[in-house]
Amino acid sequence: MRHTIRFTGVGGQGVLLAGEIMAAAKIKLGGHGLKTATYTSQVRGGATVVDITLDDNEIFYPYANEGEIDFMLSVANVSYQQFKNGVKPGGIIVVEPNLVHPTEEDRQKWIIVEIPIITIAKEEVGNVITQSVVALGITNEFTGVLEPETLKEVMLSKVPKKVHEVNNKAWDLGIKYAKEAKAKLGM
Amino acid sequence: MAREVISTGNELSALGAFDAGCMFFGGYPITPSSEVMHEMSDLLPTVGGKFIQMEDEIAGISVALGASMAGTKSMTATSGPGISLKAEQIGLAFIAEVPLVIVNVMRGGPSTGLPTRVSQADIGQAQYPTHGDYASITLCAGSLEECYTQTVRGFNLAERYMTPVFVLLDETVGHMHGKAMLPDLEEVKASIVNRKRYDGKPEDYRPYDVPMNTPAVLNPMFEGYRFHFTGLHHGPTGFPTEDAAQCQFNIERLVGKINTIAAENDGLDDEADYEEFMMEDAEVCMIAYGSISRGAKEAVMKLRNDGIKAGLFRPIVLWPSPAKKLKEIGQKFDKIFVTELNMGQYLKEIERVTGRSDFTTLLKANGRPIAPLEMVAKVKEMF
Repeated sequence: MRHTIRFTGVGGQGVLLAGEIMAAAKIKLGGHGLKTATYTSQVRGGATVVDITLDDNEIFYPYANEGEIDFMLSVANVSYQQFKNGVKPGGIIVVEPNLVHPTEEDRQKWIIVEIPIITIAKEEVGNVITQSVVALGITNEFTGVLEPETLKEVMLSKVPKKVHEVNNKAWDLGIKYAKEAKAKLGM
Repeated sequence: MAREVISTGNELSALGAFDAGCMFFGGYPITPSSEVMHEMSDLLPTVGGKFIQMEDEIAGISVALGASMAGTKSMTATSGPGISLKAEQIGLAFIAEVPLVIVNVMRGGPSTGLPTRVSQADIGQAQYPTHGDYASITLCAGSLEECYTQTVRGFNLAERYMTPVFVLLDETVGHMHGKAMLPDLEEVKASIVNRKRYDGKPEDYRPYDVPMNTPAVLNPMFEGYRFHFTGLHHGPTGFPTEDAAQCQFNIERLVGKINTIAAENDGLDDEADYEEFMMEDAEVCMIAYGSISRGAKEAVMKLRNDGIKAGLFRPIVLWPSPAKKLKEIGQKFDKIFVTELNMGQYLKEIERVTGRSDFTTLLKANGRPIAPLEMVAKVKEMF
């Protein structure tokens, strides 16, 4: 079974790390995971897309096949608009509603879920850098693709000990908001 | 025991260099190759190796060459624009026969081109990176494992043939992050090749006085074996000469020590020069290398699901090309599909070797990868 997940944002938002963590967790569980990132030559502010492919078998083509993506998360409008069409019809797209503006047509085509990821990181966790961990919690809650404890363990292994607590908090909040959103959708 | 690691192609290329015994890195950072350099700056000091970031690419390769002249296994890493800058010193490495591994993580060109995007447009550059006559050795990694193994191989070939060796990665494999199974470290260490040494009397030492198709025997500097390094044509001791017979011999030997030897021995070493993927019963042969071969493998499987028996031939040693095998393929297959991320640089070599020019192609030069479904659609048009 293959899962393809896409994170999109702009350079500097840290979405790359979240992709690496997902791939590493899948590998730890005995499968295969590949992360690729495509970005522009702008240092900050350029559209960034991270494709994560998770499979029990070897993965050759490392990018998502356009139109086959199960789940996308976006924290920047420029990248959302550019990369949304990779998501399969009926797929789930989680957006930061303060920054990403889906059209009515988009809402017909995909399940668009609005979660204020950056506000949560900034105000509830108290550190904007943790947005990638909030995103990680949300992604796994929606896709259910990885065993949550393993994913959390891998995440903690990638961040310094002194920030474990805030990252745990970010992880828990991501899951909480995703659960609430799922309940609203009747999922 | 094989080692499972989670890493990127660039980092694994650095690790391969480290495990192959590289003790010197000189270079200048450039996207998408910089992580090779970053990793070397972490690894080398742990074993007393030397890492230096120079003021530009030219200085980077210059110090790397100097280290190799002193007998140290040495490397530089860059991308296409960096190779253009290093071209002059690459020529010195060819004519003076200084071993050096040059990693090129390919991005879109020409000039500064597409800094962050994937390309395979430096294939021709790797064959003839500088003016003059010589033969290039160019290896091309198609997986995370190969970023490691082909870099190790690059060092071994450089030492054996006394020549610069190109290890080509591209932005996709260089930055791709995932699982790799690396060979057992003891096995890697056991495979290491070191350049030949002359052990006779110092006064009789003639480093370039070697038979046709044989590499020079260069002892490390500062050990009492006096000789001369120069970019000029040179005689047995390395001092300049314009003797007509000597100059002709020099170039025939430079080209022959690689091309003739590879043709006679069916390759430069015992390792695989190519991979055949589902070729046994194939009715259409796809040819791709580097990261593009990954999409091609997926295309092979999709085509087989749709009832078309496709197979993939993937060259690993691009130069000298696996000509004998390519010729066989040209004779065996009626339907051949070539896909690469440039306007047909390797296609030209395949056409030359096979004597055919009727291939179906999918060529791209816009900095984007080639998706398996694009290949599938193109191959289906052949039926």
